[in-house]
Amino acid sequence: MALLEIKNLHAAVEGEEILRGINLSVDRGEVHAVMGPNGSGKSTLSKVLAGHDGYEVTGGQVLYDGKDLLDMEAEDRARLGVFLGFQYPVEIPGVANTYFLKAALNAIRKHRGEDELDAVAFLKRIRERASLVNMDENLLKRAVNEGFSGGEKKRNEIFQMAVLEPQLAILDETDSGLDIDALRIVAQGVNAMRDPDRAFLLITHYQRLLDHIEPDYVHVLVNGRIRQSGGKELAEELERSGYALFEENAA
Amino acid sequence: MEAVTELKSAYMEIFEAAAQAGGMLGERRRQAIDSFERLGFPTRRMEAWKHAKLDPLTRQVFPPAAPGGELSPAVVSRFADVAGAVRLVFVDGHFSSRHSDLSAAPAGVRVQSLDAALREDTDLVREQFARVVDVDGHAFAALNTAFSADGAVIDIADNVVMDAPVVVIFASSSQLAGHAAYPRILLRAGQGSEVRLVQQHLGDVDDTHLVAPVTELVLRDNSGVSLQHFQDDGPGAWHLGAISARVPRDARFALHTVSAGSRFARTDVQVDLVEPGADLRMNGLYMVDGKRYADYHTVVRHVTDHSQSQQLFKGILGGRGEAVFDGTIHVARDAQQTDSEQQNSNLLLNPMALAHSNPRLEIYADDVKCAHGSTVGELDEDAMFYLRSRGIGLDDAQALLTFAFANEVLDDMIEPALSGQARQRLLALLPGGASLEALE
Repeated sequence: MALLEIKNLHAAVEGEEILRGINLSVDRGEVHAVMGPNGSGKSTLSKVLAGHDGYEVTGGQVLYDGKDLLDMEAEDRARLGVFLGFQYPVEIPGVANTYFLKAALNAIRKHRGEDELDAVAFLKRIRERASLVNMDENLLKRAVNEGFSGGEKKRNEIFQMAVLEPQLAILDETDSGLDIDALRIVAQGVNAMRDPDRAFLLITHYQRLLDHIEPDYVHVLVNGRIRQSGGKELAEELERSGYALFEENAA
Repeated sequence: MEAVTELKSAYMEIFEAAAQAGGMLGERRRQAIDSFERLGFPTRRMEAWKHAKLDPLTRQVFPPAAPGGELSPAVVSRFADVAGAVRLVFVDGHFSSRHSDLSAAPAGVRVQSLDAALREDTDLVREQFARVVDVDGHAFAALNTAFSADGAVIDIADNVVMDAPVVVIFASSSQLAGHAAYPRILLRAGQGSEVRLVQQHLGDVDDTHLVAPVTELVLRDNSGVSLQHFQDDGPGAWHLGAISARVPRDARFALHTVSAGSRFARTDVQVDLVEPGADLRMNGLYMVDGKRYADYHTVVRHVTDHSQSQQLFKGILGGRGEAVFDGTIHVARDAQQTDSEQQNSNLLLNPMALAHSNPRLEIYADDVKCAHGSTVGELDEDAMFYLRSRGIGLDDAQALLTFAFANEVLDDMIEPALSGQARQRLLALLPGGASLEALE
């Protein structure tokens, strides 16, 4: 059984249908890239999978580890190992990064029936994972994303992923707006987290990310449907031809 | 003649029957009760009182509480405990030597009860008592001035910098049920002196009672006074207080205030910045839930040039709670180069809660910097989703964000004993607060 099984998923925002029948199967150990132009439904797909209230699922099914994912609250999905790296990470003034991560990690561990990490073990873990993405320790003490640069916010997402060790990491345009150095750091963090038990869903607009994170599968999402799936060579084809080809096919 | 007698209020009758009418303050107390007779209790027809439903207070007479009340152990355990501090404790408005400790007063600092100060006929009381607060314009300040049996009198000599704060605690015993307490503080900070003052109100009395405190602060040139005011009376309290300060040349006054307890709480803060270089900072946090009502009315007057004021008041409203922030900034014609800022933000945790926010700017000078802002909102949905997407449950996420909202104000409270208690009160208000406490 695949870790994530998306069957004919339809979703709407404020009455407008954005996803029009998505089918996708992601197994443990795999890296899938979902590519598509602006407005194709990429971010909607990631938010629906993470459990955002603002999106209405109008049809289809999503199984995660055999369970009905769409039936769960956002926090329960996270506790079962679903992680969303935000395209636009939210600033939370007044809540320190470490405090926030401790609350998250404890909630997840509690759900798994594990003891809370003591202060020493927790600090060791976050220091270790911060170094994965070259994250300055000063940023750990600061309020979540407050005053962070674009690159720092994205790094913070990967850092959180590294601390929380999800089963399924959905990274929504984590590469957008990054310069090449920041992109390398982010890619390095993701690559370090690749694991036979962990799956990645990379949602991206640009093929460039895939030069640094080699995907097993590439899917082209246009107008709410996956138009084509293939290996990493599909990304190269996209780079040459652009999305227009797929849009025409759809027409 | 009988008709005239009938027109007297019950409070005037109590006043006339009591022995307090004599003594050094006799005339001032007499003027105060006359002011009350003239003012009467405020009504909702008055703009400044239009949200205040005072009926339970006005349809019953609350005579001053007698001395001798015993505090419950729970109340005693909540005393602001600050190492090395001078501590004065008043029970139902009466000085309690048993709970107080005046031995730590350093040289140049005179701390005594009002009763003791009156017996010694100190110049501070003679010159300043009821001279800072607006007795003629505030019915409850007038009642306090007429009836305050006791209080804290603190006199700090020039250039004395106090390491530890002076802690003044006004606590309520069960004897206060159906009665009134009139706590009073008079502080004078000498030129170049620095002092931190803690004013804590607390109690656990369920039956309706009145707590009407007055705090008067007299600052001399270049002095610094920080008042940490924590209003946490029992569930039956109607707390109607006044804090008044006069800030002269180069003097700095900081007020940190938290309103958490009582059924009804209103504090009128009046600060006059009367000479160049006068500086005011005010941070306030009010929390209401159930049917609680909390109200801050601030009036800041920039009288001459080059003074500054900064105000930040935050409200957290749950249940069917109601809160008012009403802040007047008056900049006189001669007060050029005034720098004034006022911000009020309210967080609604329940759609049934009600927040009123009224900034009022009265600016008569033309070269000034005055900024103000006011918001009423709910928790940020994006932030809620962000936290939940990391595994943090709904209640915990709400608690965390609410806590973060309040923390900006609490972080500035210098006395850990008080900010710790305020944090606990805040966490108790929030679903999920208990698990947040474990993270501390």
